[in-house]
Amino acid sequence: MKMQISINPRLRLSPLVMVLLTLMGIAFVVAMIRYIYGIGAISDLSYSYPWGFWISFDLFTGVAIGSGAFVMAATVYIFELKEFQPLLKPSVLTGFLGYIMVVIALLVDLGHPERIWYMMIHWNETSVLLEIGLCVMSYLTVLAIEFAPVVFEGVKWQKFAHLIHKFIMPFVILGVVLSTLHQSSLGSLLLIQPAKLYPLWWTPILPILFFISAVSIGLAMIIFESSVSSRYFHRGLEIHLLEKLAKAIPVVLAIYLIVRFSQLTLAGDLKFLFTSGLMSILFWTEIIVGSLIPLVLFSFNRFRQSPIWLLIGAITLLVGMILDRFDVSWFAVKHPDPLTYIPTFMASNAHYMPSLPEISLSIGIFSAGILAFGLAAKYLPLFESDEEHAHAPQPKPVIATKAASD
Amino acid sequence: MTDINNIQHKAFLFDATRCIDCRACMIACSVENNIPMDKTRIWVAGVGLKGEYPNLDRASMVYHCMHCDEPDCMSACPVGAYSKRTDGPVVYNPDLCIGCRYCMNACPFGVPHFDYNKGLIEGAFIDKCTMCPQRIDNGQEPACVATCPTDALMFGERADLIKEAHARIQAYPNRYIDHVYGETENGGTSYLILSHVPFKELGLPNLGPTPVKDVSEAVMGVTIPFALTWGAILTGVTVGVHTYNQKKEAAEKKLIEAENPTKETK
Repeated sequence: MKMQISINPRLRLSPLVMVLLTLMGIAFVVAMIRYIYGIGAISDLSYSYPWGFWISFDLFTGVAIGSGAFVMAATVYIFELKEFQPLLKPSVLTGFLGYIMVVIALLVDLGHPERIWYMMIHWNETSVLLEIGLCVMSYLTVLAIEFAPVVFEGVKWQKFAHLIHKFIMPFVILGVVLSTLHQSSLGSLLLIQPAKLYPLWWTPILPILFFISAVSIGLAMIIFESSVSSRYFHRGLEIHLLEKLAKAIPVVLAIYLIVRFSQLTLAGDLKFLFTSGLMSILFWTEIIVGSLIPLVLFSFNRFRQSPIWLLIGAITLLVGMILDRFDVSWFAVKHPDPLTYIPTFMASNAHYMPSLPEISLSIGIFSAGILAFGLAAKYLPLFESDEEHAHAPQPKPVIATKAASD
Repeated sequence: MTDINNIQHKAFLFDATRCIDCRACMIACSVENNIPMDKTRIWVAGVGLKGEYPNLDRASMVYHCMHCDEPDCMSACPVGAYSKRTDGPVVYNPDLCIGCRYCMNACPFGVPHFDYNKGLIEGAFIDKCTMCPQRIDNGQEPACVATCPTDALMFGERADLIKEAHARIQAYPNRYIDHVYGETENGGTSYLILSHVPFKELGLPNLGPTPVKDVSEAVMGVTIPFALTWGAILTGVTVGVHTYNQKKEAAEKKLIEAENPTKETK
């Protein structure tokens, strides 16, 4: 009886955690089916659509929303704007978890996941995918190093935490360089498809556009996650910091719009703006939702100082920019219509619509990320700045106190 | 007939006006290369009946790897599973493939195919036409060419085939469209096509003389110099900001000291 009493409180799970665990379980089963019967068994991917939802959502969106980590690292360490310190750790964690989710998704999407390390030894220097692979692997290591002090502080190994802090600068610079490279290279990935990607999106400066938008996504993501976690974990909102970040967003978005529209003008692609049917609609949706609305919204003091408008603006930007990632990697890509030349038995899927298991897999991986973030927020000094932590009274081990109090 | 062993740049010539859509090439390919029933490396597509009776017309196209002179799949593959033989064929090495399917995205012709119904144990690979190296290295034509009953498919030296194609266009200017597809498309391919209907109707993409990989490769070329420059700039900025902040701090301290000398001594 006594044992039950001491164990039960630890096993008590909130409804949200139960839902997350269920989604993860479903994803695990789906992944097992994929490993036994092949990718075709769970997805709608085909000869004409070799990349689908996993690439658009897990790779393109996952990497994009991880950009908060390098934006914050650059702000705090390189530009020494120490006031932003409280936002650093959560955004580095988001980046770290985001990239781990990218790798997990790729381990499902790759035909030979057990060979993913081949990228480290077999190099084809002309391949953009190789660059992304190497950058993501190295950047994951850098993020682990950047986040390690938080873990060491959590387990009271202050010595290690200080040691890493001492030598952090080279890693920060390496991290920013790697981020710049692979955030932009995600755009370069589509450069090889001039015949397939719609001209409103295909441009030789795709990598530059991707980098600028990644910076805006990073800023919006920090606002988003701070707002959400302050609500969920009942902690104060660093509104004065978020307001300053929000001030930078219109600048970044203005640069983005100027570069994008000058390119369209110079390339003579303006004629596609209104005459391409669905493509025009997608283009304008992503421009208005992802750039114009947040640009206008964050230009006003009134909206920047209101927690709810900050959140709304950030979500709008994220939705629009994620739509951009989906457009570039999926919606605006026209693969040759296989009906005209592929025998019917090969072209069972002339059109691509992600299947339910396919989406549930991504959702499961995403749930794991949210759960991991929640656990880190609960058990690690994630939302404390270093100085505060140094002076803070020794926090009692959570599990022990709970068990003791029961 | 030239000796196949001595051909410097091996290539195919396909003449759509000669193809009778018998699909013997598909059977021959599958038999030669041991391809299971649910897959094929070569496919024939008819574009359907056109015109009105009695002037009916039907075109068909034999489709397999174009064996580009500058293969985009080879440029895209992160692990270098593709290679281009000096005598023409673009070949794929399954032992290196990680199954990322970037080659399928890169190929403007949609040639590489993937085993979607194979799990980890069987192993899912890319499959595509190899120009039958086991045959051409022994002085034989590829299986599809050898079996073609109407000589719609021919095999030989690329330069000779281009000459032959232009000769046919000249001899029958009313029959052919005045263009040899593959002569310049995508930087030149080793699969040349003659047709009496627009190439678009055969399912062939409209491509320029530069291979689609060019921009992507140019960007990759500047990546390392850019990374080094960017790293240097960031290091400079870091050091600069740090020095500036320290100087500013020191100056402020001095100012405070100068203003309140008594307070400081306390």
